Amino acid sequence: MSSSRTPTYILIGLLAFAAFGLLTGLYAGLLRLGIFHHLSTQSISPLSHGPLMINGFLGTLIGLERAAALEKKWAYVAPILMAASTIFGLIGHAETAQWLMVMGALGLAGVMTYLYFLQPKVYHLIMALGALSLLTGNLLYLWGWHIYELVGWWAAFPMLTIFGERLELNRIMRPPKRAQHFFTALNILWIASLVLVHFTRPLGWRISSVLLIAIALWLFKYDIAKRTIKSVEWTRYSAISLLSGYSWLIITGLFGLWQGFLTAGPFYDGLLHMIFVGFIFSMIFAHASVIIPSLSGRLVPYHNYFYFPLILLHAFLALRIIGDFAMLPSLRKIGSYGNVLAIILFLGGVVFQLFIKTKKPFPNRNH
Amino acid sequence: MLTFYSIDRGNIVQQLREVIDPELGVNIVDLGLVYNIFAEDGTLVVEYTATTPGCPMRRYLQQQIEAALATVDTFENYEARLVWEPEWSVEMIENGVDFFGHPPPQVNDS
Repeated sequence: MSSSRTPTYILIGLLAFAAFGLLTGLYAGLLRLGIFHHLSTQSISPLSHGPLMINGFLGTLIGLERAAALEKKWAYVAPILMAASTIFGLIGHAETAQWLMVMGALGLAGVMTYLYFLQPKVYHLIMALGALSLLTGNLLYLWGWHIYELVGWWAAFPMLTIFGERLELNRIMRPPKRAQHFFTALNILWIASLVLVHFTRPLGWRISSVLLIAIALWLFKYDIAKRTIKSVEWTRYSAISLLSGYSWLIITGLFGLWQGFLTAGPFYDGLLHMIFVGFIFSMIFAHASVIIPSLSGRLVPYHNYFYFPLILLHAFLALRIIGDFAMLPSLRKIGSYGNVLAIILFLGGVVFQLFIKTKKPFPNRNH
Repeated sequence: MLTFYSIDRGNIVQQLREVIDPELGVNIVDLGLVYNIFAEDGTLVVEYTATTPGCPMRRYLQQQIEAALATVDTFENYEARLVWEPEWSVEMIENGVDFFGHPPPQVNDS
């Protein structure tokens, strides 16, 4: 079966939309913190920070990654709808944007269900449940629920996608069947705990937190990162990013056990950013060297520079959390600005290495 | 007229061993992803698979395999053909393969 390939410029174009979703999402985050409030014409609502990061950025990126893997034209509907939701949100058509997010999530759930149909394995099931979590979160958002009521589902989308991907990749570590079943059970129970959160938030989230710690410990034990940390360049970088992300997952779990899942305020801010910055962005840094070649056909030349934004990401997140705990808004703001800077520096490094440093699209085959 | 093409499989396999899966740091031959090498109407065909239908590296591997086949002088035409049967499993990996024993792929930026 030889498939007709989607032109690379279409993939790059959609990737640019994902980056646009990221940048506008970060900008909305800065507006939330109060920066630029004298300059802002309020073209972006500060409240769009979460929807842009989850849908405009991650929805477009993950949808694009799946579509490029499948090489089915219909699979591109999901990332296109997600990218469109960014645009409509920014030009002030909030309700249209919300509908596009729902349709995009529906498309992604369709793609993931199709993948499960092609290969009915538990890792595809977990990833499909991740897409369904996004759909759930987006439907609740459309129906006007508060963000704090639905944000667990938004978090579940990238988290379950990553958990499924790690289970799939770590087959090469040949974990015992029982361990694989245990990991699947932890994931299913974690989704069930998110449902429970709607009925009893403190108890539901404490159960979620125990399960998150168990998932993180499983990953520490069975993830190939434990071995690849001894490797070099991107491989080692990826392993360090993965293991640091799993560490944030454990911190998130411990914090959740202690504080539950508040609905507003600095502890709520701390918990969400442990997940979204500490865990999710560590995963993004870890996977960038794989995602970008899969879409652009170009390897990102490695440079030790990439440790700089990774260290900044963790250090400023720690500052932010300390600021949250100590009720020091100024420290929290410094941490937040530092996180934005770390992400921009990582993205800038990737773009520099790809477009300035790379002259040839293919790797040196004579090493 | 029937034309016979002789295939130097050893050479082709050698070329394909240069294609490294960046996620696993192992060449696609040792990973068990290359299923078949044959000639079809004067075209060199390599049937390969990916570890999963949702594998993000599939498109990259396709490009890399095509680049490897372009170096085979005997054939002007070549095709890297993705197949899903039989389904790949970890049992297809060569015994004793050292994951990430191979240096990660480098970009020639000279």
